[in-house]
Amino acid sequence: MSEEHTALTRAELLKRGGVAAAGLTAFGASDALAATMRGARAENVTLAWLTWFDHYFPQQLKTTLKQTGIACRPKLAPSDSEIYTTIRTTGSQFDIAAMDALWVPYAHKSGLTESFDLNSMKAAKQLYPDARHIPFWKDGSNSMAFPNGWSTIQIYYNPKFVTTKPDSYDALLDPKYKKKIIYENSPETWIAFGGLATGAKVPYNQTIPEIARSKAWLEKIKPNVLKIVNQNFETVNALKDGSCWIGLGNLGVDLRVKAAGGPPIKVAYPKEGLCGWFDGEQMVKASKHKDVFLQFMDSVESQTYWAAQNFLKNGRPMFNEAAYKLLVKWGYKARADAFNYTKPELIFKANLQGPAKNQQQITDAFNEVFGG
Amino acid sequence: MVPTAVYFGLFFFVPFGLIVCFSFWTDSNYTVVHDWTLDNYRYFLENAVYWHTMIATLWVAVAATAITLGVAFPFSYWLSRYVRPGLQKPLLVLVIVPFWTSYLLRVYSWLNILGDEGLVNTALKKAGIIDQPMSLLYHRWTVILVLVYLYFPFAALTLYSSIDRFDWDQLRAAMDLGASPTTALRKILLPQIRAGITTAVIFVLIPILGEYLAPQLVGGIEGVMTGNQIDSFQQGALYARASALSLIVAGFIVLLLILFRKSLASKEAYGA
Repeated sequence: MSEEHTALTRAELLKRGGVAAAGLTAFGASDALAATMRGARAENVTLAWLTWFDHYFPQQLKTTLKQTGIACRPKLAPSDSEIYTTIRTTGSQFDIAAMDALWVPYAHKSGLTESFDLNSMKAAKQLYPDARHIPFWKDGSNSMAFPNGWSTIQIYYNPKFVTTKPDSYDALLDPKYKKKIIYENSPETWIAFGGLATGAKVPYNQTIPEIARSKAWLEKIKPNVLKIVNQNFETVNALKDGSCWIGLGNLGVDLRVKAAGGPPIKVAYPKEGLCGWFDGEQMVKASKHKDVFLQFMDSVESQTYWAAQNFLKNGRPMFNEAAYKLLVKWGYKARADAFNYTKPELIFKANLQGPAKNQQQITDAFNEVFGG
Repeated sequence: MVPTAVYFGLFFFVPFGLIVCFSFWTDSNYTVVHDWTLDNYRYFLENAVYWHTMIATLWVAVAATAITLGVAFPFSYWLSRYVRPGLQKPLLVLVIVPFWTSYLLRVYSWLNILGDEGLVNTALKKAGIIDQPMSLLYHRWTVILVLVYLYFPFAALTLYSSIDRFDWDQLRAAMDLGASPTTALRKILLPQIRAGITTAVIFVLIPILGEYLAPQLVGGIEGVMTGNQIDSFQQGALYARASALSLIVAGFIVLLLILFRKSLASKEAYGA
């Protein structure tokens, strides 16, 4: 199979689905499904899932419906803070909610989610050990969430224009990069970059003086920022067409630019440290269908084929080790390795997204810099 | 009367009342705390950045509205006066064809038109006019251009329905009596379609004041509008801040509607 990711035809998909099913049997996942099937089928149950678009495929949910009788109505989630306030406000309207790293214990501590026995799920056996034992997601022997995907955020640059490797956040302040830098619309992460550059202790949870210093740093970088984008494919496009020379982004931006026919892009890891995120699915405490949560998640998350497809489509590592093995089988080893797929431990060294006690000051600072 | 009151109560006064309440409360730890305060309004009114953005937003909205109407008026005039009736409806359908595609897609398409490797730059390069791509995206004028494209159908349809009712004999009579074409247009046609023009202005100007996606996608850092600031507050679950800023914009819109009220009086517009 070609190293480039190509769209699959329906026939290929079915064929590979068969291979994946065989793979699943090998990993014991079919046992999990069989066990699930042995239990009562939860007919006429529809779960409401507040999650991000890249956490599932519609076909995956169809398979789960077929296997378990549990239907699902996903609702696309906005930011972590909005998911948090949504599940707090809507009570039992949602059964499952996705969230990022440090948001998970925050939601749990707030009494919005309930932990569960991750190890009782056969799907958990497909995960890397690091993902099965995330210390701050532990609630006794239970876990607060089922881990999904992750990425660090690094600096990608076009060496044709950026001749000195930007190995620090301050390197981005060079006036020669005027209107040549691009990153996503995430006020918290922009302030976190500023925090890393100015020595904040916890970049995603800064004190008010630290936010003031980060804001001053953002003022300095602002002339160099061309655009704040909604989706990371816009970063890929801007690096591809040369309208930007530097893009901060998730793992694999360089490969995605190359795949899009763009110029060679290099990666730099700022010495002050990296920001990063990883996310997972939580059981909403007020849910009326908690009894089928494990059955549903087990079915969805043990579909290795779709986990592998998820990586190929959305371009960031998953915590699913079994999917990596499938990717290797499909000929995507080099691609997966280039995304650090096999090194999930890296994300736990990054500065992780989480709630901030001074959220208002963070958004105010961001708006005061980029809003004028 | 009762159904109207229920309708307005449920779909207007209750949500609007909630927004008003939120705007006087505070955000703390991702919770809206019900402490009554003017802090949110004070913050916006005392912070020059928000004033600048508000003025820039107004400027973009006025410029885009003026250009949209400037383009839509001759089109509607031509359609109504010179195109045979059987062809008018198909042409009107063509005007609304873009609505069949998603708003997001329509805005994204401009990235492919104005981008460094977009249609315009590629054509100019192939024609040997430029060597390096021109910077066509991420300016305030780019936002205006895209907004004109997005809102043209609203203005064209409104103006067409107004002009279509006009009796062209009046224009001919004015010119027979010695008025120049411009004078006849200004003194006979425009006063009679004033309500249509006002409606078109409302349909275009007011939604533009709340725009945030188009400025974000094609405006870059230069094109930020008040809607983008509201979006940032919303993203951070700062609903009190977002509500206050939204109400400041809404207050401004109400002011505009009061100003437009006279022009909207159909009695005056049609001389009935």
